[in-house]
Amino acid sequence: MRSSASDADLDRRDFLHVCALATSVLSPGLAVLPASAQTTPKKGGTLRVGFYLEASTMDPHLSGSKVDRQIYHNIYEPLLTLDVKLGIKPGLAESWQQPEPKTLILKLRQGVKFQDGTDFNAEAVRFNFNRMKTEPKSVRKGEVASIESVDVVDAYTVKINLRRPDAALLATLTDRAGMMVSPKVAQERGSELERNAKGAGTGPFEFVEWIKDDHLLIKRNDSYWNKQGGPYLDRIRYRPIPDDTVKLQSLQSGEIDVIDYVQPRDVAAVKADKNVSVLDVPSLAAFAYQLNQTRPPFNSKALRQAVAYTLDLEQIVKGVWLNVGVPANGPVPPTSWAYDKSIPYIKRDLAKAKAKLAEGGKPTGFPFTITTANIPINVQEAEVIQAQLSEAGMQVKIKLVDAATQLSDGNTKNFDMISYQWSGRPDPDGNIYQFFKTTPGMSLNWSGISNPQIDALLDKTREASSREERKKLYGELTRILQDELPMVYIVHPIEPKAFSLKVQGYEPIPDGMMRFRTVWLK
Amino acid sequence: MGRLVLRRLLATVPVLLLVTAGVFTLIHLTPGDPIDVMMSESADATVKENLRRELGMDQPIYVQYATWMGRLLRGDLGHSIRNREPVIENVGKRIRPSLQLAGLAMAISLIIATPIGILSAARRNTSVDRVGTSFALFGICMPNFLLALLLIFFFGVKLRWLPISGYTDPLEEPWLGLRSLVLPAITLGLALAAVVTRTLRSSMLEALSEDYVRTARAKGLSEWRVIRGHVLKNALIPVVTVLGLQLGTLIGGAVITEYVFALPGVGRLVVDAVFARDYPLVQGVVLLIAVGFILSNLLVDLLYGWIDPRIRYR
Repeated sequence: MRSSASDADLDRRDFLHVCALATSVLSPGLAVLPASAQTTPKKGGTLRVGFYLEASTMDPHLSGSKVDRQIYHNIYEPLLTLDVKLGIKPGLAESWQQPEPKTLILKLRQGVKFQDGTDFNAEAVRFNFNRMKTEPKSVRKGEVASIESVDVVDAYTVKINLRRPDAALLATLTDRAGMMVSPKVAQERGSELERNAKGAGTGPFEFVEWIKDDHLLIKRNDSYWNKQGGPYLDRIRYRPIPDDTVKLQSLQSGEIDVIDYVQPRDVAAVKADKNVSVLDVPSLAAFAYQLNQTRPPFNSKALRQAVAYTLDLEQIVKGVWLNVGVPANGPVPPTSWAYDKSIPYIKRDLAKAKAKLAEGGKPTGFPFTITTANIPINVQEAEVIQAQLSEAGMQVKIKLVDAATQLSDGNTKNFDMISYQWSGRPDPDGNIYQFFKTTPGMSLNWSGISNPQIDALLDKTREASSREERKKLYGELTRILQDELPMVYIVHPIEPKAFSLKVQGYEPIPDGMMRFRTVWLK
Repeated sequence: MGRLVLRRLLATVPVLLLVTAGVFTLIHLTPGDPIDVMMSESADATVKENLRRELGMDQPIYVQYATWMGRLLRGDLGHSIRNREPVIENVGKRIRPSLQLAGLAMAISLIIATPIGILSAARRNTSVDRVGTSFALFGICMPNFLLALLLIFFFGVKLRWLPISGYTDPLEEPWLGLRSLVLPAITLGLALAAVVTRTLRSSMLEALSEDYVRTARAKGLSEWRVIRGHVLKNALIPVVTVLGLQLGTLIGGAVITEYVFALPGVGRLVVDAVFARDYPLVQGVVLLIAVGFILSNLLVDLLYGWIDPRIRYR
C-alpha cells in the first residue's frame, strides 16, 4: 500500500503528463495526428462512430444526455468554444466584452447561415435564450438562470443583462446552453425538432436521418462559414452498440472507425493492437459518493470522516480503475485551471478512522448501505469499498439499482451513501455549485448539505472576476469539503478513445466531446 | 372452426385485462420516476411538476389505469414519454427486425434439429444418437450471450465473414440484410434447435413403438418410408407445440441477443422503456407481446387439426 505524499504527487504528474500527451497529441504510434502533421487532408468518406448509448433528443435545449452532446457539437455551434487547454475562444460570437460584472456584450460573427438558409444574427440569439428560459421542458433553465434579459444592440451585437455576476457563464456558453438553433426550425417544427434536426444548426455537419437504436446520419455542410480546416468527411454515421465488448470488436474488425470510450479493463489490450490507436483524453469528470446528511448515520460529521479515512483511494484507482484515472482530492479535476495540486487526496489512516468512529459514538463500527448502479465497474468498486470499510468495523450492504432508481433514491434522499458519476463541465462551477449550494430544488445536492460558509464561498466564486481569485476560492472550498465530506471523491477518470488507423486530424479537447470538423480519412 | 376462433379470441379478453393490470401495477411500484430520468440534469422542481401534470402522472394510479384503458378502447395506445412518438409507431418500427430474426432463427433451428432428431430416434442408443444428445445438451446449456460473443469472435473478428453488429433490412438489401441477421439467428436458433431435437427424438421414439409402424414395416416398406410416411407426421404435434410457444419468446424475449448484436428489435425496446420508466411504452409493448403469444398459441391449436385430422374441436 502506498500512501506517501510523494507518490500522490507522482500520480498527479503522471496524469498531467498524459494530459499533455493527449492535448499536444505527440504520443508515439498514434495515427490520430493533427492534419498539419500528416499529408494534406482530403475530402470524402463516411466516418462510423460507435456509442454505448442511443441519443435521446436532437433539441439541445431539452437534452440531458452526454451522447446527445457528442452529436450536437458537430451539428450545432455554441457562441463560444473551448481550446485544447480549456481556454475560451470565439465561436459564433467573434468577441465578447464585460464592461461591468452584470453585463456581457457579444459581437456575433457575420455571414453565418443556419442550414435551413436563414441568417444567424442577434435576433436569433435573443430567441434562443428566451426559448431556453421559457420553454416548459427546457433543461437549460438552471444554466441560464443568471441571465435576466437579452437586448439586441444591432444586427450582430447582443447585450446580455445578468441578475448577478456569473463568472462561469462564458464556459457555460461553450456547451448546450450556448448552442444556437434556427428560430424558424424551432417555431415551425415544434416538438418534432427532437427527432428531426434538419436545417436546425450552423455547424460543419447537417442532420440527415435518425433511425432509433440503429443509426443517426449527418452529412457535410458544404455552406459552412469557416472555409479553413474542414469539414472533410462526407458523412458521419453514429451507431449505438450497447455491449462494450462488441463495440470494441466492431472497431477491431473494421466495422466502425471510432469508439467514444474504452473500458479500463480493455485499455491494455487495445493499446497492444497495432490496427487501432488509442488516445487517452483526460476528462473533467469526478466520480464520487454522496453521504446523506439528513438522517443517521451520516448526519454525524465524525462518521462521514471515518468513512473517508478508511478508504484507500490509491488501491481503488489501481485495482478497479486499472490506473485509467487518478485519485481525487475533490470535485475539481487535474485538467481544470482551478485544480489545486497542493491539496492531497485523503489518505487511508485506520487509527484516525477508529478515533472518528469513537467520536461519532460508534466505536465498533456501524451498518449502512451503499447504493450504486448495476454496472460491472461500479459493482467492483463498491465491493472493494465494502472490504476496506469492514476493516474498520463498518458493515456495508450493497444495493444495486438501475439508473432510474438511483436518480429517484438520490432526489428523495432515500440512501445512506450513493454513487454519483459526474461527467464534468469546463468551468469548475459546473462540478461544484449545484452539488453543495443550499437552495431548495437543487436536485444534485443529494447529500442535503447546508453550510453557510460553503454557500458564501460558492457565491463568491461566481462573483470573482479573475481566475487567480477564483482558483484560490475553489482551493478553499476543496479543503472545507474534505472536512465536511458531503461527498467522498474517489477518482478523476481518463476517457480513452480508440480509432482505426485511417482516422486523421482528430483534436482532443478534455471535455470529452468528439468534434469531427478537422477529421479526415486516409 | 370459425366459432372456435371466435370463442378463443373472446377468452383472451380477461387474460389481456389481467396482463395489463399486472404490468401497470408492477411498473408503477418499481422505484424510479420517468420525469427524473428525462430531466436528470434539471434542478427546476416547477418544470418537473408541470411535466408530471401534463402527462397525467399526478393522478392516483387507478385513475391513470382507467385513463389508459379508456384510450385503449378507442384504439389509442398512447405516446412514449421519452420520445413523444405514438407507442404503435415505436412498435411498428421494431417489429420487422424482430419478426425477421424470429423467422430465421426458427428456420435455422428446424434445419439443424430435424435431421438430428430423426437420426437420433432412428438410430437409438448408437453413437449417432449420442452425438445428437450431446449436441442438444450443448445447445441447452450454452448461455446465449456467451455463444453470441464466441460467434462474433470467430466469424466477425477472426474470419471476418459476417458483420458483428447492426441491422440492415433484408427486404431492402437482401444480401446485406441476411448477413446482418445470420449470427443473431444462429445464437437464438441453436438453443431452440436443441429443444426441438430432444422433443422430436422422444416423440418419434414413442411413435416408432406404435402398432401401425410394425404393420408398415410388415408390409415391407423401407425404413425411410416408414419414418417419412407414418412416424414423422405423428411425432410432429409436440414439436409444433414447442415451436408455437417459442415463437412469442423469440419475438419479444430476444433481449440479450438484440443487445449484443445491437439489433433494433422489440425486446430491446421494452427493456429500454423499463429502464427509462416509460410507462405507456412498456404497457403498450407488453400488451402487444401478450396478444402475439395468444395468437401464436391459437395458431398452434389450429395446426394440430391440420396435422392430425382426428383432432376435432367442438
